[in-house]
Amino acid sequence: MNILEVKNLTKQFGGLTATSNINMNVEKNSITAVIGPNGAGKTTFFNMITAVYKPTSGDILLNGKSLIGLKPHQVSHFGITRTFQNIRLFNDMTVLENVMVGMHQNLKAHWVGTLLQLPHIRKMEEAAKVDAYDILKYVGLEDYVNENAGNLAYGAQRRLEIGRAMAAKPKILLLDEPAAGMNPKETERLTNLIYDLRSKLNVTIILIEHDMKLVMKISDFIYVLDHGELIASGKPDEIRNNTRVIEAYLGKGAVAND
Amino acid sequence: MLAHILQNLPQVLIDGLTLGVVYAVVAIGYTMVYGILELINFAHGDVFMTGAFIGAIVLFLLMGMGFLSAMPALIVFLIVIVIAAIATGMLGVGIERVAYRPLRRKNAPKLIALITSIGISFVLEDAVRFIAELKTGNYIVTAPSMFNHKFNVDVHSVIPFFNNATFQASFLLVLIVTVVMLVSLDLFVNKTKWGMAMRAVAQDRDTASLMTINVNRVISVTFFIGSALGGATGVLFMIQYGTIDPYIGFILGIKAFTAAVLGGIGNIRGAMFGGVMLGLLEMFAAANLSVITHGAMGAEYKDVFAFIILILVLIFKPEGLFGKAVVEKV
Amino acid sequence: MTTLSALFEKLAQSKKNQIILFVAYVVLTGAGLFLLPDSTIAFLLLLFSILILYYLNVNLRAKWITGIVILAAIVPFIASHSDSYQTYMEVGTLVGIYCAMALGLNIVVGFAGLLDLGFIAFFAVGAYSYAIFASGQASKFMPFGHYPLPGDTFWLFIIVGAIVAAIFGILLGVPVLRVRGDYLAIVTLGFGEIIRILLNNMDHPINITNGSMGIASIAPPNFFGISIGSSSQFYYIAFGIFLVVIYVVRKLENSKLGRSWKAVRDNEIAAQAMGIPLVKTKLAAFAIGASFSGMMGVIFAAKQMFVDATSFTYLESTMVLVMVILGGMGSVPGVILGAAVVIILRTQVLTNISNWLSTMSSNYGISIPPALSPEKMQLLIFGLLLIIFALYRTQGLIPHKNRKVDVELLKKESAEAARAREKATSGGAKS
Repeated sequence: MNILEVKNLTKQFGGLTATSNINMNVEKNSITAVIGPNGAGKTTFFNMITAVYKPTSGDILLNGKSLIGLKPHQVSHFGITRTFQNIRLFNDMTVLENVMVGMHQNLKAHWVGTLLQLPHIRKMEEAAKVDAYDILKYVGLEDYVNENAGNLAYGAQRRLEIGRAMAAKPKILLLDEPAAGMNPKETERLTNLIYDLRSKLNVTIILIEHDMKLVMKISDFIYVLDHGELIASGKPDEIRNNTRVIEAYLGKGAVAND
Repeated sequence: MLAHILQNLPQVLIDGLTLGVVYAVVAIGYTMVYGILELINFAHGDVFMTGAFIGAIVLFLLMGMGFLSAMPALIVFLIVIVIAAIATGMLGVGIERVAYRPLRRKNAPKLIALITSIGISFVLEDAVRFIAELKTGNYIVTAPSMFNHKFNVDVHSVIPFFNNATFQASFLLVLIVTVVMLVSLDLFVNKTKWGMAMRAVAQDRDTASLMTINVNRVISVTFFIGSALGGATGVLFMIQYGTIDPYIGFILGIKAFTAAVLGGIGNIRGAMFGGVMLGLLEMFAAANLSVITHGAMGAEYKDVFAFIILILVLIFKPEGLFGKAVVEKV
Repeated sequence: MTTLSALFEKLAQSKKNQIILFVAYVVLTGAGLFLLPDSTIAFLLLLFSILILYYLNVNLRAKWITGIVILAAIVPFIASHSDSYQTYMEVGTLVGIYCAMALGLNIVVGFAGLLDLGFIAFFAVGAYSYAIFASGQASKFMPFGHYPLPGDTFWLFIIVGAIVAAIFGILLGVPVLRVRGDYLAIVTLGFGEIIRILLNNMDHPINITNGSMGIASIAPPNFFGISIGSSSQFYYIAFGIFLVVIYVVRKLENSKLGRSWKAVRDNEIAAQAMGIPLVKTKLAAFAIGASFSGMMGVIFAAKQMFVDATSFTYLESTMVLVMVILGGMGSVPGVILGAAVVIILRTQVLTNISNWLSTMSSNYGISIPPALSPEKMQLLIFGLLLIIFALYRTQGLIPHKNRKVDVELLKKESAEAARAREKATSGGAKS
C-alpha cells in the first residue's frame, strides 16, 4: 500500500526549474532513498512535501489526501516530519526541551490550563518529560538532557534532530542527509537507529543521502534525481547498474571505461 | 472638493518634490546598508540630522569670518555641503566600525545589531543636542537664510483650473544637487570597480570574499557613501526648511526607510522613486486630507498616512514595487 | 555581580552565616532609612537587599516569602517614618509598573524573539481606557451611561485594560506578524507612532481622547469605600499585580506555549516543521505581553489622575526595551532588575546628581552648563547602555538560564514507566 504518492511535481523559481514532473510512490513502512548529484533538486523536493515551498504544479497525496495548500505546521500535524540538511535545532533550548517541542502536536495543554495549574496538565507535562527522556535514551543522548542543544557535537546534533522528529510520532519521516559529516562509527549507529525506527515504531522513512554505502544497504527503493528530473528508480541492485545514474554521477564516458 | 484638490496641485507638486528628493537620498542610505548587511540602520536618520547640524556649524563659522558677504552664496554653499558630507561619511564609517563590525565578527543575531543601531541613534541625538545647547543655549537652531528669493509660477494663466504656485530659490538648489547626487551614485554603482564590488558583496558576501574582494572595505565604502549622501541631504534640508533640531532625523528616517521599502529594499533606483513618490503622497495628504474627510482629519495625520503606506507595502508587497521576492534557503 | 558573590563566598561559607549577614544588611539599611535625614541612598540599598536575596543559598520558597515581606511590609513601614515617604513609594510604584511592562515585553522580545518598538502603545491603550470612562470624557461621545464611572470600577478596569490591550495586540499582530523579522521592528515603531498621533488628535470630529489637552480629573480607585489617592496606596496595587504577572510569566515560560515561543525564536522553519503554527504562537506572545502593559496602563492613569499622549512616545517604548536588554533577554529576574535599575536611574539617581551639580555650581561658583545636566542626558546614557550591552554583554546583567530537570528523577520515572508497560503487555498476554 502506498502511503505517499507524488504526481507530476514541478517547482520553478522565476525562470529556473528546480524539479520537473516528479512521480513517486512510497510504500508504507519502507525505507526509500532519494539520491542525485548536488543541485539535483532533492531538498527542494523535501521542501515541497513539507510545504516550505509551494509547488508550481503537481500533487502530493498522503494516504490519498492532497497536501497541497497546507501550511508547514499542518503538514506536520498530518504526520510528516523531517530533519534538515543544515541542522536546525533550537540552539538556546535544552536537549530535553528540543524533544519536548517535537511532542507538542500530541500535547494538548492549553495555556489557560497551565496558569490555573490544572492537575491533568501538570501530569501531562511530567509524562512528556519522561517520554522525552526515553527518546533521548533511544538516540543515545541521555547524558546531555540539560545541555543547550547548540553546545552538542555535530553527530549528536544530527541524532537530536532525529529524536526531535521522532517525538512527533510521524507516519513519514524525511531525513535530509542524516549521515553528512558523520564518522563510520556514528554512521553505523545511525543505520541501526533507522532500522529501529521502521521496525519498532512503524515509521515510513524517506532519506536524502550521499553516502552510497549506506543508501545501498538500507533502502528498499531508490529514486534518482538529476537536474530536477527523475532519471531512474528501482531496487538498490537495479540502480547500481543503471547507466543513466552512473552517467549523472560521473559524467558521460564513465560507463564505457567501467 | 475636486476643484480644491486641483487648484492646489501645482503647489503640492513643488512641495512634494522637495520633500520627496530629500526622502530619496536618505532612503538610499538605508537601502545600500540593507542591501549589503541586511540591517536596518536605525542611526541613519540621525546621521542625516548630524549632517544638518555640521552644515549649520560650518555656515555660522564662515559667516563669523565674513565669508558669506565676501563670496557668492553658491560657493559658500558648496563648501558647507562638501565639509558636511565628508564629516558624516566618516561618521558613518566610524559607526560601522564601532557598532556593527564587532557583531558581524561574532555572528550575533540580527536583533542585537538592530538594538545597537537604536543605541547609536540615541547617542547621536543627545550628543548633537548637547553641543547645540552648550553653544547657543537652545537645541533648536535657525540657519541663516540663503537662497530665499521667491519665484512665482504663473500656472493659472495657462491652465485656469490651477492656482499659482510659489517656490524658493533653494528648491531649485535642492532639486539640482539631489539629482546630481543620484545620477553620480547610479553611475558609481553601475559603472565603476567599487560599485561592482558592492553589488557583488550584496549578492553573496562569502563568495565575494573568495573572489579577493575585501568585504570589510566594501562595507566601509558603502557606509561612507550612504552617510555622506545623508549628511549632504541634511544640509539641503537645513537650507530649505530653515530650522533644525536634533530630533528631525527620527521621523524623517522612518519615512525614508518607508521609501526604501516602497521601492524594493536593496534597490537604489527603487529607493529614489519610492522617496519621490512618498514625498508627493505626503504633501498631497497634508494639503487635502482635511477636505477629503470633511474636516475629520487634518494635516496632522500625514505621518499616520506614511506609516500606513509602510505597513501596507510590507504586508502585501514586501519585496517593494521594483524588488524581486526572496526565498529563504532551507 | 561576580565580585559580590565572591565577597559572599569569602565571608559566608555556610548557609547560617549568609542568613545572618543578610538580616544584618536589611537591619542596617533599614536603620539608615529610618534615621538619616536624607535617606535616598539607604532606601536604594534596602531595595538592593532583594538582589542579594536572589543570590542567597536558601530554598526558593523562603526567598519568595522573605522578598514579599521586605517589599510589602518592611520597606513601606520604615519609609513611612521618612519625610520623603510618598516620593519613595512613588518610585516603588513606578518600579512595579515598569517591571510588569518589561516582563510583558520580555515575552515578546526575550521569549519569542520579536523586536517590538511600539510596546508603549499598549500601555497607552490601557491608560486611556480607564481615563476616558473614569472621567467626564466618556459623556462627550457615549450615547448612554453616566460618567465618570465611580472609582469602584477601577478593579474591573484592570481586567478591561488587559483585554483591550490584548485585542490591540492581536489587531496589530494579525497583519504585522506575517512580515519578515527585521521589518517587524520598524512596523511596530510605526504602529506606536500611529497610536500616539491618534490619541493626540482624536478630539475631532468626535471628541474621544480630548486631543492634546489630555484627560484630567480621573476618578481615584475606590477600595471598600476608601478612596485611593496616594503613592503609598498605589504601591500595593502595583506590587500585587506585579506578583500576578511574575506568576504568569514563570508558569508560561516552562509550558507548552513558552517552549513554542522559544522554538519560534530559535528557528522558525524547524518550529513549523514540528507542527508549531507560527502566526498563532507569535500572536499569543503579542497579546499576553500587551495585556500586562494594558493592566499597568490602567494603574498609571489612576495614579497620575491625568493622561495625555506625551507619556507614550517612542522614547518610552525604547526605555522598556532598555530594561529588557540591560537585565537580560529572556531572563525573568534579569528583566526585573533591569526595570528597577532604569527607573531608579531616571527618577532618583539622575535627578539627584543634577540637583547636586546645581548646588555645587551655586555654592562654589563652579559653573556647570545646564546642557550638561544628567537629567537631560537620558538619551545618551541609555543609548550607551544599549550599545555596551549589545556589544559586550548580550546576555544582560542576569543571564537567562534554561530550567534544568532532575535527571535522576527522570531516570527513575522512566524505569518505572517501562516496568508498568512490561507488566501490562505480559498481563495482556496471559489473559
